[in-house]
This record gives sequence, structure tokens and C-alpha cells, in this order.
Amino acid sequence: MDFSIRAANLEDCKDIARMIMELAEYEKVSEHVKVTQKDLEQDGFSKNPFFHGIVAEVPEAQRTKDGHVKIGYALYFLSYSSWKGRCVYMEDLYVMPEFRGKGIGKALMSKVAQLGMAAGCTQLNFTVLDWNKASLDFYAAQGCSDVTASLGYHVMRCEGAERGEAWPNTIEDRQ
Amino acid sequence: MANFILRKAEPNDVSDILRMIKELAKYEEMEEQVILTEKELLEDGFGDHPFYHCFVGEVPKEKQSSEGFTVVAFAMYYFTYDPWIGKLLYLEDFYVMEEFRGFGMGSHILRLLSETAVKTRCSSMHFIVAENNTPSIEFYKRRGASDLSSEEGWRLFAIDKEDLKKMTTPK
Repeated sequence: MDFSIRAANLEDCKDIARMIMELAEYEKVSEHVKVTQKDLEQDGFSKNPFFHGIVAEVPEAQRTKDGHVKIGYALYFLSYSSWKGRCVYMEDLYVMPEFRGKGIGKALMSKVAQLGMAAGCTQLNFTVLDWNKASLDFYAAQGCSDVTASLGYHVMRCEGAERGEAWPNTIEDRQ
Repeated sequence: MANFILRKAEPNDVSDILRMIKELAKYEEMEEQVILTEKELLEDGFGDHPFYHCFVGEVPKEKQSSEGFTVVAFAMYYFTYDPWIGKLLYLEDFYVMEEFRGFGMGSHILRLLSETAVKTRCSSMHFIVAENNTPSIEFYKRRGASDLSSEEGWRLFAIDKEDLKKMTTPK
């Protein structure tokens, strides 16, 4: 199958927003998606972007029944390991179901790895849901290791109850 | 002892930061994994495009550690992005030297981090903790942290340098 992988631009945000929603639906959490196309444009394509995107595109002749030619994407950003230094974190990797099994996911991930290494990164990190067998199998085939299983690292979150309220709020803080 | 200050790290702090990174790694039984150098810390944290930000905790000279250190705590963080909820603050390392624990320095650092997150419009703060690190897990849970690995099934994956290289080489 013919496809091309390229850096995302501002015009891609509409399709990226669509596919973010498709991925969230697949992960059964679409009600959690608050980011809009406008947010993506502002956060990814201003002077100091918070993320970078890569898009997979097919020729017109292979477009989906809804007319889409942008059929996969990856979002990543540079992060830091206090042990190893510069890292790249792959936040999202998605290929529309009808285009899977053709090497597109692998090509997207390879591009993230390439861009990360070009920026001096020595590690690529990402998270996967434990019930997502298809993805777990895909990543195992790419040589990835499950750090949660091997080292017992758990991903934690501290959430603000509402904007503007400094958290965490504990007995010690109230003294 | 309640005498300490928290401040933004400066280039001169990299030696203390690396020392404490190694102390924390040793506590996690991962000391040999630390390959980062002072030179990289300096370039990556204090250049044109910092990869990380850092707060340090400092005590007055008369309260220095048994080995003579006055920079006795640090928190290393950076900003990440969740396409569902937007900007996040990611806490990479958070450490207070053993002899300075229990005096509220950790709580103050966490409050400073949360103020930074709110000021920079982050939806939440993420970090990882080893499941056998009970004191740290309890510290965070007391402050309302949720364990996304246990509660939602998120597993952290890594690809190291050699496999990363293989991935970029076309077959």
C-alpha cells in the first residue's frame, strides 16, 4: 500500500482532532477529551510548541469512504530522564482500523524515533493500556519493554479540583 | 529545624543536582543506570531551550549536611501534553536528603510545584513511582494522587538506544 509519512502542519489539526477522538473511543474514554482543534493549533504550532505531530497520508485513490486521506498520526514531545538525559515521549500513535497491518504504525513510530535521535534523545517512552492486546503485541514486536512489569513503575496523577486552586490540599498544608 | 529556602536552580547547582540524582537512584537501587553528566545537565537545563526545570532546597551553612552540603533537596520537572486535556506538569525527580526529611521541605516543594502547574495552566501533574516504594506512595496518596497503573491499567514502556537505532534503520 502506498503511503507517506510527514511532519504535521497547522492544516492537519482538523484530521488530528478527528483521529484523537477515534483513538479515545477505541480506548473507551472519549468523554475525557477536552482538547479542541483550536487548542491543538495553538499548543502545537505556536512559537513554543508543547508537542509535535507526524501524519500518515494515502493517495486520493485510497481515501476512506468518508473521504479522508490522512489516516494515521503520532504525537510526541521531548522529555528528560534524570538518569539518561534527553528522551522522546510518544503520547499518541494511531492508524485507522482499515489501514492497519500494512506497516504504517511501524513507519510512524520509526519517524518519531528518528526525529528523537536527531534531537539527541537516547530513549523513547510511552504508555499502553494493559487490556490493549493488539498494541501490546505490536510494541513487543518492535523490541519495547514493559517498565511497569519489569521495574514495577506505576504512573501517578495529582489533579487540581478546579483551575486556580493550588493543590494538593492536606492537613499539613492547612497548618 | 524549619530553616530552609526553596529557589530555582542555577547553573552552579548542577553538581549538587547530579549528586542528589545519584543518591535518589541509589535509594531506588538503580545507581548504575545514571549515565547523565554535569556537562549534559548544564547544557540541557540552562541553554536556549531547556529540556527540564529544577527547584532546589537550601539550608544555611550552620545547618549543612554531615558531608558539608547546603543544597539538600531538588525537584526536576518539565511540561508535557495530553491531547485529551492539554498541558501537564511532569515531575521527573523529587528528593530530600534523608537527614533533612520530616521537616516539611517535601510538602513545600510539592506546593511550589502545584503553584507552578496552576500558574502555567496545567491540568494535572504526572509522575512515576516504583510500586515497592511504600513511603513515597503513601506520601503522594495522602495528597490525593491516584495510581493510574492500578486504577486504569496504564503500563509504562521504554525503548533504549540500541533498539531505537534499529527502529530508524529501514529493513
